[in-house]
Amino acid sequence: MFFRVMDQSRLPDLVRGLAEEFEVVGPVAKDDRYVFGRIEDPADLELHYDTTLLPPKKLFFPPEERMMRFRVADNEVVDDEVYAGPRVLFGVHPCDINGLLLMDNVFMGDFEDPYYKARRENTVIVGVSCTPTDTCFCNAWGTDEVHWGFDIFLTDLGDRYFVSVRSVLGAELLDRHVETREIGDADTEAFQSASRKFKGSFTEELDTSQLPLLLDAKFDSPMWDELGDRCLSCGACSTVCPTCYCFDVVDRLEPDQKTGMRERRWDSCQFVEFAAVAHGENFRVSRASRVKYRYYHKQWGYLSKFERVLCVGCGRCERACLAKISPREVVKALETGGVQ
Amino acid sequence: MTASKNQHLAANPYRPWPTRITSIVDLTENEKLFELRIIDDEVRDTFRFDSGQFVEMSIFGVGEAPISISSAPSKRGFIELCVRKAGDVTGALHSKRCGDIIGIRGPFGRGFPIQEMKGHDVLLVAGGLGIAPLKSLINQIHDERHEFGKVTILYGARNPSEVLFRYQFDMWKHRDDFELILTVDEADDSWADEVGVVTKLFDKIEIDSARTYSAICGPPVMYRFVIDEMRKKGMDVDRIFVSFERRMKCGIGKCGHCGVGHQYTCIDGPVFSYWEAMNLQEAI
Ligand SMILES: Cc1cc2nc3c(=O)[nH]c(=O)nc-3n(C[C@H](O)[C@H](O)[C@H](O)COP(=O)(O)OP(=O)(O)OC[C@H]3O[C@@H](n4cnc5c(N)ncnc54)[C@H](O)[C@@H]3O)c2cc1C
Ligand code: FES
Repeated sequence: MFFRVMDQSRLPDLVRGLAEEFEVVGPVAKDDRYVFGRIEDPADLELHYDTTLLPPKKLFFPPEERMMRFRVADNEVVDDEVYAGPRVLFGVHPCDINGLLLMDNVFMGDFEDPYYKARRENTVIVGVSCTPTDTCFCNAWGTDEVHWGFDIFLTDLGDRYFVSVRSVLGAELLDRHVETREIGDADTEAFQSASRKFKGSFTEELDTSQLPLLLDAKFDSPMWDELGDRCLSCGACSTVCPTCYCFDVVDRLEPDQKTGMRERRWDSCQFVEFAAVAHGENFRVSRASRVKYRYYHKQWGYLSKFERVLCVGCGRCERACLAKISPREVVKALETGGVQ
Repeated sequence: MTASKNQHLAANPYRPWPTRITSIVDLTENEKLFELRIIDDEVRDTFRFDSGQFVEMSIFGVGEAPISISSAPSKRGFIELCVRKAGDVTGALHSKRCGDIIGIRGPFGRGFPIQEMKGHDVLLVAGGLGIAPLKSLINQIHDERHEFGKVTILYGARNPSEVLFRYQFDMWKHRDDFELILTVDEADDSWADEVGVVTKLFDKIEIDSARTYSAICGPPVMYRFVIDEMRKKGMDVDRIFVSFERRMKCGIGKCGHCGVGHQYTCIDGPVFSYWEAMNLQEAI
């Protein structure tokens, strides 16, 4: 990786330059929160945001998406093309970049998902450093740092950015659109001290020792019933999660009944019909079993395949949950026993 | 067959291949056997599968359903699906006629460990529709009979009218290279075979547990009881194989619906050894 330094006053040049070539999407204010939205004017970009309501997964794996158009008579696909215009996703935090890397394992591993892949390959990622909030726990999984998965990464040093350049395209874009200079020792030192300060500003260190094993050892613990009693099965946790990828598939016929569309939509393992099969059988009827499954899959199922937990510690589910169930509470309950 | 060899699959694994229904046999009131032929020559000629694998059967406008392949892998050019009418998609298939076009994607999942089974005795236990995936294995063993030792098949259904493939099994009963025992929960006057649940048949068979591989397929309630009988006969947990049914949408490890314990039924199964299944929470 190589590095450059960019004055913060140059930021609008970079954003404007990128907008000449790409659709630029980044954090913008919405009421008192933030969302990833289209950037028309560099002034709209809110790089000091805490976290967005929805993670950037919506740009790669939309809440609803057409997979193919079909003809009924001969059961033929008429069109299964994906529209994925060139896009820059500007201002992504390390947790969310890591979230995309975790999604890549699923969608771009065996049986590549052409829809996700097309968008992923047509999107330039510009990351930005952040300040932990009181719901952030990315430090528990090491997802507070990111070493790949971006083209350019901006670490805020107050008056300037320490710019990490990961890809050829990132280097070219930087070169084309903004004035930067070589790094000096003072810049590297400032970068290190910013990183140290960042690491020191988390409100807690979560103990995650032997978590996958504890999930099995405490599979029958009453803690799951307590959590199940509180959970409303609303699925908000999956919606706002940067790593939840489950979906449902539905066919929709046009009024002429001759053609139609096969679509997929975000789904959630918290919904009662998620594991239901024909003849009235359902493998996870109780809310307790569904809450448990969400954690079991994230912290053991996924890990058994990809050696990482399927959580980046962004804290969105904790903020979204009306029953105030949070992964931190679940991890602590597993580690020490009992729910608060 | 590896996925990459197949152009269509590599391009879009969600895209079903148009497939013609070439024959339909009514097996019972609710089950039919469909013989299918993939229309594209190249796709058809490169289609290979292991017994125990499944396809996603696709009817545009209605949806998709995972269905085990019932025919033997050695049968080229055609595949057979034995389908029970259980809801929307399977119902739509049942209303199709010979010559109609549907779609299939696949084959998906991990089938039975046929290479491991070769050179051993085999015990196959089916309950109800569980005979559908086992039928592929039975046909394969039949085609390569000299590769296997003693072959025992136990098959239970609710009543005589629900016994699938009876025409074939009635013929086999007279062969001495297969021990085939059929049973029904409730007999009628036409029934000359056993009566009672399938586990009762274990008293009637001899198994050399050190030489035997077994496969079980049936409704979820059946597994525990059958496995208990096998364990009593001294069979090892890693030589007993089970096939699971879970809800599925994608068949390729993406949609998340088929989770069983820490694995996905569609890519890690649907066939698991009992040892693996013991390590899957809430599996059996
Ligand atoms: C690996 C595997 C092999 C199977 N093999 C056979 C077979 O050989 N013959 C046969 O008749 N049936 C088989 N089934 C069961 C068959 O898939 C279901 O009966 C079928 O999906 C029901 O769909 P439906 O639309 O007709 O019913 P509906 O109840 O209308 O189902 C609606 C949707 O729910 C889902 N769904 C419902 N039940 C199941 C289920 N049991 N498994 C998975 N998804 C389900 C499907 O996504 C379906 O589109 C198999 C299932 C699995 C998982
Ligand atoms: S069926 Fe979609 S993950 Fe298994």
